[in-house]
Amino acid sequence: MIEFDHITRTYGNKLAVDELTLTIQPGELFALLGPNGAGKTTTIKMLVGLLRPTSGSVRVCGHDVVARTRDATAVIGYVPDQPFLYDKLTGREFLEFAAEMRGLDRSTVRQRIERETETFGLSEFLDSLTETYSHGMKQRVVFASALLHDPAVLVIDEPMVGLDPRSVRIVKDLLRRRTGAGTAVFMSTHTLAVAEEIADRIGIVDHGRLKFLGSVAQLREELASQQASLERLFLDLTDESNGPAAETTSQPDPQR
Amino acid sequence: MRHSGAPSAKETLSPQDEARALRRLRYRLVRTVMRQAFSQGRLRLLLVLSLSLSLWLGLFALFFEGFGFLKNGIPHPVTHDQTVCAVFGTFFAALMVMLLFSSGVILYGSLFRSPDVALLLTMPVRAERVFLQKFQEAVFLSSWGFLLLGSPMLIAYGVVAGAPWFYYAILLPLLVAFIYIPSALGAAVCLGIMYRLPNRRGNVLVGAGLVLAAATLWIAWLVFGGMESDMLTPSWFQEMLGRLRYSEQRLLPSWWLSSGLLEASRGVWSEGVLFLTLMIANALFCRQATLFIASRVYRPAYSKLSNRPSGRKIDGPAWIDRAMLFAMPFVPRQMRLLMVKDLRLFRRDPAQWSQFLIFFGLLCLYFLNIRGLKYHDQHTAWVNMVSFLNVSVVGLLLSTFTTRFIFPMISLEGRRFWILGLLPLRRRTIIWEKFCFALGGSLIPCSALILLSDLMLRVAPVVLASHQMTCLILCIGLSGIAAGLGARLPSLREESPSRIAAGFGGTLNLMVSTLYIVAVVMLTAVPCHFYLAFQQSRPALPPAELANLQWWLHFWLVGGTLGSIALCILATAIPLMVGIRAFRRLEF
Repeated sequence: MIEFDHITRTYGNKLAVDELTLTIQPGELFALLGPNGAGKTTTIKMLVGLLRPTSGSVRVCGHDVVARTRDATAVIGYVPDQPFLYDKLTGREFLEFAAEMRGLDRSTVRQRIERETETFGLSEFLDSLTETYSHGMKQRVVFASALLHDPAVLVIDEPMVGLDPRSVRIVKDLLRRRTGAGTAVFMSTHTLAVAEEIADRIGIVDHGRLKFLGSVAQLREELASQQASLERLFLDLTDESNGPAAETTSQPDPQR
Repeated sequence: MRHSGAPSAKETLSPQDEARALRRLRYRLVRTVMRQAFSQGRLRLLLVLSLSLSLWLGLFALFFEGFGFLKNGIPHPVTHDQTVCAVFGTFFAALMVMLLFSSGVILYGSLFRSPDVALLLTMPVRAERVFLQKFQEAVFLSSWGFLLLGSPMLIAYGVVAGAPWFYYAILLPLLVAFIYIPSALGAAVCLGIMYRLPNRRGNVLVGAGLVLAAATLWIAWLVFGGMESDMLTPSWFQEMLGRLRYSEQRLLPSWWLSSGLLEASRGVWSEGVLFLTLMIANALFCRQATLFIASRVYRPAYSKLSNRPSGRKIDGPAWIDRAMLFAMPFVPRQMRLLMVKDLRLFRRDPAQWSQFLIFFGLLCLYFLNIRGLKYHDQHTAWVNMVSFLNVSVVGLLLSTFTTRFIFPMISLEGRRFWILGLLPLRRRTIIWEKFCFALGGSLIPCSALILLSDLMLRVAPVVLASHQMTCLILCIGLSGIAAGLGARLPSLREESPSRIAAGFGGTLNLMVSTLYIVAVVMLTAVPCHFYLAFQQSRPALPPAELANLQWWLHFWLVGGTLGSIALCILATAIPLMVGIRAFRRLEF
């Protein structure tokens, strides 16, 4: 469903993503963890077609993201870390626009907006201009817009930022429900507990390189063998003084 | 729950459906803005409309008189047509260059820096459609001023020339087709630079600015340099017409436009239609060619633009920051630190200093070439008048910069006010700092420019001193108005300084500044002009009346100077006091 094939991305002399190879299967929830500047957002931007890899390729549902960008983005729902909404549109108008751009017909648009309004509790403010929204309200509308077309792949950059505890719960449940229905979810997060709670597999990236890749079960085994917490493991893997030698726990890509 | 290929979702939209969706988006955005303008900003809307209408009518009257003068002053039809052709050709050629640059710069911002583009490019939409949406907006933004300035001129010409209805009918299509050509070229250049030289775009911009400055200098020399005839004589007029022929190159769209308009005004509709067809065909070709380029390079260019180093390291404070910290011991240290911070923000934002550099650079070029106009050979009254006009021009230019850069500073500070708000700092210190920063930043270049103008015009030392005093009065007052009104009428929700400047507060600031400049120049320049004229050529009057006149002129001169100083104090103190009071009460 999502295939990163030896992708590398540089910014001038700086290596942002280094030879990343990774496959996410349908119905899998993958969490990418890493410190600030590790290359998580760059990876996500290459996945959604905003950035192009310096080398390597990204495929979504068989569509190469560079060669067939429109086909690839048609099956992706994307929630960026900094949600953008048109200030002078209401939330409903924004959702209608997003749905129209995805080619949904009018009756489906109405049904889907109703569905997402109920899911994310948007009814109180959906018909107000988005310039009056708080960060959390914007984030909920962006979530709704990303799900309107029932995407096969959901890409979320820092999903819990700005959300209240109730919305966090809703998002967690929703992600599990979506993966249960076959959606592949690729998310980046700083929140280790969230990754541990809902992810099927976790990747820890640092300085553009994948330092750990494995299922939550494998991770728990690793933690148990080292008698360490996820936080301890994360800090050890991303400790600059360890360098590449820290990649001891790196796993081959397990097929689920 | 269904995934890709679900029956209700089409794979991707057709070009027509994409266009329809984006058109609906634009309609909804414009509708909301208009509704808000009508319901919340009626005064601003009324002000903008009435000012625009006044400007349009004023320009119409000016051009009507001008073309009437040409018609009566140059009765020979061939010379008259040559003159109008030269006027139109020069005007449209200059606008063509401006449109090329402005559309390129606007498109850079909207295609590569606008946050909504990141949203649109993650949707299954054609890259060329996103480009076209932004291109149309850029064409509108870069050409509304042209329509506001150009339409009164062309309608006035039609009225004076007794043009048939056909002339007015093809006016708008001709102008729109004309605007499209340089705008499309500017867009193609912008895309090319971002695709090929994304990391050197700053150097390219500076290079283009230097080329433009050199070209302006060259054209100024071609037109005004080494004139053999005395100014405003028939031979001078013929020589000038000959020199303006450079704008009549047959391959320039500006020539097609002026020729189409002139033919239509004469009632030769076949020629008018020919030029209209030529313009539309070229406009459509340029549009399609640019769309083709966009379809190939826009997405890669967007990606490449992110392909730059995360930022060069800066080794400690620059010499100018250190100089500012140590050279003003009389200014409180907190204020100096704020000024260093503002100087750094200004210095590191090319959009700010490049505009400053281009406009002041162009004025500097004009002043350096002012001797080519031979004003210094004319009567002293001419020299004095031109020198005072130059002071006014510098003041007007400064007022646009204080509106564009100083007025929005408090609004921008407001968004980050938690930083300053948590420091042990009085709020009034922030306003005084903006005032001092504006004054320091404006006084040095304005004073230098006026000195240059006076030296090139070889004015008398007393006039030079008077101009420097006027400059000081202008800089203090304009800085006070911008800092005070900026604090009184902040736009805390807006992040773009240009939008803050274009809002109600910015418009009011520009109006008040303009009135202040007019008042100061009238108080200082007019009495000085008459006083000097009197000194140069004393009128043949009885001695008693002569003495009486001299006393009155002297009184007017001293009174005007004192009045301008009083006005300066009022124009500085009142906005600052009002601003400080409002800023103290402001909740963030």
